[in-house]
Amino acid sequence: MKFSRFHFLLLLLLSVYLILVGRLFYLQVIKGEYYREISDRNYIKIFYSNPPRGKIYDRNGVLLAYDVPTFDLIGFPYIIRENYSIEDLKTVLKQMFDLDLDEKNQEIIKRNLLPKITLKKNLSQKDVENFYNYSYLLKGFYLEVVPKRVYTPEANYLPHIIGYVGFPAKEEVEKNPDITLNTLVGKAGVEKVYDNLLRGKAGQKAVLVDAFGRQKKVLWEKDPEKGNDIYLSIDVRLQKIVYDAFKSSGHKSGAVVLVDPNTYQILAALSYPTYDLQKFYEGFKPEEWKALTQDKYTPLLDKVFNGRYPPGSIYKPLVSIAALEEGVITPETRILSGPEFRIGDYKYRNWNKAGCGYINVAQALEMSCDTFYYQVGLKLGVDDIYKYTKLFGIGEKLNPDIEKKTAIVPNREWKKKVLKQGWFYGDTVNLSIGQGYLSIPPFDATKIVVPIANGGKVLKPQILKGYYDNKKQMFIHLNPEVVRTIKIKKWNLDTVKYGMYLVVYGPQGTAKALKTVPVKNAGKTGTAQVYTYLTRQKKHSKWELRDHAWFIDFAPYENPQVAGVVFVEHGESGGGTAAPLMAYILKRAFKEGVFEVK
Amino acid sequence: MKMIVLEKLKNLDFIVFGITLILLIFSVINIYSASYHEFSNLYLKQIVFVSFSLLIILTTTFLFDYRWLLSLSFYLYIIGIILLILVKFVGTTILGAKRWINLGFFQLQPSELMKGIMIIFSASYISSSKLPIGLKDFFKLMIFSFIPFLLVYSQPDLGSGIMIVLPVLVIVFLAGFKLRYIFIFLLILLVSSPFIWMHLKDYQKNRILAVLNPEADPKGTAYHVIQSKIAIGSGMLTGKGYLQGSQSKYFFLPEQHTDFIFASIGEEWGFVVSFTLVSLYLVLSLRIFLIGKGTKDNFGKFICYAVASLLAFQSFINIAMNLAIAPVVGVPLPFLSYGGTALLTFSFLIGLVLNIVYINKSQLFQLYSEETGEY
Repeated sequence: MKFSRFHFLLLLLLSVYLILVGRLFYLQVIKGEYYREISDRNYIKIFYSNPPRGKIYDRNGVLLAYDVPTFDLIGFPYIIRENYSIEDLKTVLKQMFDLDLDEKNQEIIKRNLLPKITLKKNLSQKDVENFYNYSYLLKGFYLEVVPKRVYTPEANYLPHIIGYVGFPAKEEVEKNPDITLNTLVGKAGVEKVYDNLLRGKAGQKAVLVDAFGRQKKVLWEKDPEKGNDIYLSIDVRLQKIVYDAFKSSGHKSGAVVLVDPNTYQILAALSYPTYDLQKFYEGFKPEEWKALTQDKYTPLLDKVFNGRYPPGSIYKPLVSIAALEEGVITPETRILSGPEFRIGDYKYRNWNKAGCGYINVAQALEMSCDTFYYQVGLKLGVDDIYKYTKLFGIGEKLNPDIEKKTAIVPNREWKKKVLKQGWFYGDTVNLSIGQGYLSIPPFDATKIVVPIANGGKVLKPQILKGYYDNKKQMFIHLNPEVVRTIKIKKWNLDTVKYGMYLVVYGPQGTAKALKTVPVKNAGKTGTAQVYTYLTRQKKHSKWELRDHAWFIDFAPYENPQVAGVVFVEHGESGGGTAAPLMAYILKRAFKEGVFEVK
Repeated sequence: MKMIVLEKLKNLDFIVFGITLILLIFSVINIYSASYHEFSNLYLKQIVFVSFSLLIILTTTFLFDYRWLLSLSFYLYIIGIILLILVKFVGTTILGAKRWINLGFFQLQPSELMKGIMIIFSASYISSSKLPIGLKDFFKLMIFSFIPFLLVYSQPDLGSGIMIVLPVLVIVFLAGFKLRYIFIFLLILLVSSPFIWMHLKDYQKNRILAVLNPEADPKGTAYHVIQSKIAIGSGMLTGKGYLQGSQSKYFFLPEQHTDFIFASIGEEWGFVVSFTLVSLYLVLSLRIFLIGKGTKDNFGKFICYAVASLLAFQSFINIAMNLAIAPVVGVPLPFLSYGGTALLTFSFLIGLVLNIVYINKSQLFQLYSEETGEY
């Protein structure tokens, strides 16, 4: 019989079969004892250790958040059931840990259904002492360290900035070998943004454990790596002053941001009202949670970055720079600005019925003259206003890590796309005083004032001053990053700055409250209409319909150290509400030495 | 009446039927054990599937004529391809792979179905071409099998993809395809293997590396391989006893009722039973090869060859991967792994083989004795 292809195939089959049987014989008969040893008496256990998460400090080293260890009592059912009857076990757990074993866990231990179970979470000090004092008697138990985050009382001044931590989802743990189900990971705020710095790496130890739970041999081990401590750019002293200002003013809702205009480091950022950070992390009672979520002043919303409101007149310095740079006006140009401005049948009023007279741009800023800007805005045109708005970084995330919402900056395309309408002259008129479709997060108000204060530099905003790198064993400083420089002629810039100076010190300035600050400073008020109503004298009865109050400022006037914004949601008047708040803040900040008076 | 039944039973191949029956019963026993600690009723479902399987085997054997498939094979192929495309759109994703179509009462796995369809299609194709098979037909057939391979491979399911193509290659080989072409083909494969390696997914590379050096990454891919080895090895000669496997019961062994059921059997039943099980697969596929050899009708012959090679390769690769000597490619163990579509497909294929015996009985018994002298 000839050796055919068919026979070749059968031979192949037979040889594979022989290899399999040989391997089977090798594993089960020759090495059988060895594998039985591993599986039957010794179990591989993987113990995880979670290193402490990095601490969070403010810029001067004031502690805001840290970790404390808590302990969970873990049991190995297959070991426990070989050493205790259920009755004994109940007695032991009751006496040592004041723990009543429930039906489900009894069943798991009796039938050995799970490799390990958590018997009690968050043991008391006494429980832990008992465990260590009587550990020679306990068989099949161990303590697992579970970290818990603690926020200091100071952190409650900036809960929205800090964010919070929690335990990761199962899928995240499977994807990332450096975390376990008991690793704290950041869920919001800087806890989330800088999670990679803060988190560290979980350690692992695979151990052969015998039938009594004793660790016999370490198979492999990976050391945990501690998280890095981070230092926010926030100055808690200033943050507290800001918080006090809001709290003592009686206003219900708003936001304040103060930054260093030379670095764009955020020195204080308050979204008001706040909430208790520790309670938020540990879980509110249902009724507390309900109250928080239904509060009309929205304490859970981070208004600084996540709110969006029409800016009103604080937009005028930006429009002024655009008009001066584009040559629509010069610093000397005077324009007759009456009580109202007409386009066809439409009347656009000045906020002050008296009108402003024959004035230049610095005076227009001083008086916040609407009719002046209506005319300048129309000459300038929407395209240039839009161009400068974008140049200043409004409608853009200069730092996507910390900015959440971008501003709505309308132009022709935007209106066509969103409202399916053409752009009207009236839209330009509204835009030139920061009204109409324009809507910005309060943080973006600092984007107007920072380049004015620092000579035209658009910087990347930073919430982090630096961090301590554990590996390199050195402090890493974050350097300021210039995104771009807006070319503004010195004379033009000085004119706008001077106009803002007059807002505070001019005879017709709208923010005289700022005169009480111990250094010369400059600012701009804004009262943004939420709902049109004719008689401005009458305060609207419904809070939701009142105007928003804004104030931006930089100080000192020469060599500014601080720039910022106060925003009072439905605060009615920029000069009457927001400016006094800024005055209170800067007064105390300079007096208490947060900034130096030179 | 009694006479007719007896007459029919006389023409049943008892080796093929007997081994299949043993495997089916054994599957229920072991799936009960493998799912026992998860409070799962998987074994009840398996009982339903096994009953269906027996029904399919018996009806296909006695009330069917495999030659009907000759004219239907192309339509079956088209249906198979449509289902594979459909699964891309409406498929259910489990563990990152899109392999199932949810029919409510049943999760249909078209790739398993395609294994059977490809066998019927390629057998019909070859039996109606000029033999020995030429280069042109070979390429056509390669294209026909490459389409489902790519569809399955992209699910991703490399294992099932290979199992769709392998039987085709075997029957092409047995259909007399010129050896020098085969060598050229193998050479091309060898030269292109670095490129294939480049195109493998990371997890696939890891699995191959894990076989070469499992201790390098004990918690990752190699985890399966190590735990499976421990499970089988610790079974020793006679096993730890039914329901007593600590490896599987403490969840060390993953996928213990699907791809790694052999390890769980090895742990609980020991060398004696595992050895017998491997031998049963060998005898079953040898028997079907021999039935094919003895069948005069080419269509029936090539069906048998293809079924035998599918059974042999799939069971041996699965067992080899349980024994940590082949990469984990995700092929289930025929009849024993949990999975409805696979079970029903294999049952139909066994039914077909029995039907081929039943229809060609007279020629068969003559040829057995001539060819081998053992029967």
